[in-house]
Amino acid sequence: MIIFSERINGMYRDVQAGINDRQKEVIQALVREQVAGGADVMDINLGPTKGDPVENFVWLARVIREVTDKPLSLDSAKPDLLARAVPKVHEALPDAKLVINSCTAAPDNMAKLIPVAAASGAGIIGLTMDQEGVPGSVEKRVECGAAFLVTAMENGIPVEDIYIDPIILPVNVAPKQPVNVMEAIRQLAMACDPPPHFILGLSNVSQRCLMKHLLNRTYLVMCIAAGLDAAIMDAADKDLVEAAISAEVMLDKHLYSDDYIKAWRMQKGI
Amino acid sequence: MPVPDAKEKWSARVNPVTLGATKETGGTRGRTVTIGGASGIPFLGFDGETPHRPAIALDVWDKEPTGWPKPLEDAYGDVWSDPAAWARRVAELGADLVNLRLVGTHPDEGDFPAQRAVDTVKAVLAACDLPLIVWGCEVPAKDQQVMPKVAEAAQGENCLLGGAAEAEYRTITAAAQAYGHKLIAMSPCDINKAKQVNILVSDMGFPLTDIVIFPSTAALGYGMEYIYSILERGRLAALSGDRLMAQPVILDVGYEAWRVKEARSSDDLAPAWGPVAWRGPAWEAVTATDLLQGGADLLILRHPKAVEAVRNTIHQLVGGPTP
Repeated sequence: MIIFSERINGMYRDVQAGINDRQKEVIQALVREQVAGGADVMDINLGPTKGDPVENFVWLARVIREVTDKPLSLDSAKPDLLARAVPKVHEALPDAKLVINSCTAAPDNMAKLIPVAAASGAGIIGLTMDQEGVPGSVEKRVECGAAFLVTAMENGIPVEDIYIDPIILPVNVAPKQPVNVMEAIRQLAMACDPPPHFILGLSNVSQRCLMKHLLNRTYLVMCIAAGLDAAIMDAADKDLVEAAISAEVMLDKHLYSDDYIKAWRMQKGI
Repeated sequence: MPVPDAKEKWSARVNPVTLGATKETGGTRGRTVTIGGASGIPFLGFDGETPHRPAIALDVWDKEPTGWPKPLEDAYGDVWSDPAAWARRVAELGADLVNLRLVGTHPDEGDFPAQRAVDTVKAVLAACDLPLIVWGCEVPAKDQQVMPKVAEAAQGENCLLGGAAEAEYRTITAAAQAYGHKLIAMSPCDINKAKQVNILVSDMGFPLTDIVIFPSTAALGYGMEYIYSILERGRLAALSGDRLMAQPVILDVGYEAWRVKEARSSDDLAPAWGPVAWRGPAWEAVTATDLLQGGADLLILRHPKAVEAVRNTIHQLVGGPTP
């Protein structure tokens, strides 16, 4: 399970203030907590913060890098911003592994971001949507995912650096989508050997729901069974992380022992 | 039709573990023996490398065995009342290590005191310069008295001590750690327990890289395939990056093979099975060579003819200079 930490996001007030006021201790305390919980990649989303976003990305990347050498995922819905920010962060921190989060399967979008990933040795998350928006059907998701995968590989991105995100919508507004996302993962995983990674912005499934933690945890386990091997999630949510590891034990991805959670933590050095 | 490429890409390897210490490293052994280190499926040269060939340890007891069948008596009967002489014999037979069992410390087998065990270990260390494996009697209360003393007496020799089990691992682990020895982690034919014991031992601060797994052993015809599948699963987990299963494996083939009736029944009891002088060693050798394929790194054997056959097999599988 590749855990992308969702916590360094300007949508959170503490992070927003941390970025705006350049309080690196606030950010670093959160990073330490996420890494201690099992985060493998630190996702950075600026949210509604002040100032030049490229500078904010570079500042955050440096601040995070001071406390961990985990890869950094630059998260924005604006392709132009990512196309400018990724090379700058790569220049500032040439040893840091980066992931672009994210790129749609719309041709102009892919043409903009995939070469940036290739040039900076970054991973890239491909959304299974194109210029027409988020698909409702499984078929369209698979079509977009396959188009992204093929284009990324043609541009020399190794398959282990490619993440497909089939886009989960909140269960309270789109009740058919959780099942469709799982089916899309299954079909895409079968079509490619070795398969790319499959990732979700997990918390989206429970947006504006009352039982957020329970929904996140339940859906994560269901998706792992379908082939999901990465998620943008709260690594400090112990129940969530432990449910994911338990699911992977059931799928024979880890050899069982009575202390399998401790074993998983030992192997990560946390 | 082209031959498909069956090569696997593995992300990790079995830990190499070095046993024994020469003068340069603070001991008195003539040489050290390194086991493990494989980066692929056993003996598939195209899959990964086998940097250290499987090693062979020969049994030496601290008291004269009772009930050993004639082929073993013929090989050791003249020396087995004296552990030092027995150790010299196994060195002459080409063992890589001496496997010393403190059977006599068992409450029902003589109940030797710790001091006698210490004297035996010292005598064996003085008698030959091979690296040493030392097992207690597997009665926890007694091993807790004996093994720390033994570990202390052999300080500097980098022995392999047996062993830590889920129910009782603290004393032996602390002793191995305090006096610089490697440790056998024992589990009864259960791969989940094998991992669990490693977690427990490692949780005490003992390095995972100083552990050798003993998953128990079974002879040909008596459940050997269970051990074989445990070896396979353990090796695959190790190669896939599970650091808690990356330890090399020791198997007690001699003990198990010579317990079964096919190996030990005398010629008059089983005339149709062929002479026991060949049958017994053959049973031991076949058990050993089968288990080597599953991923065994250190074999404890008994009969000289079995040693010869297993050595030849290893040579054919790994190559290198003629044994």
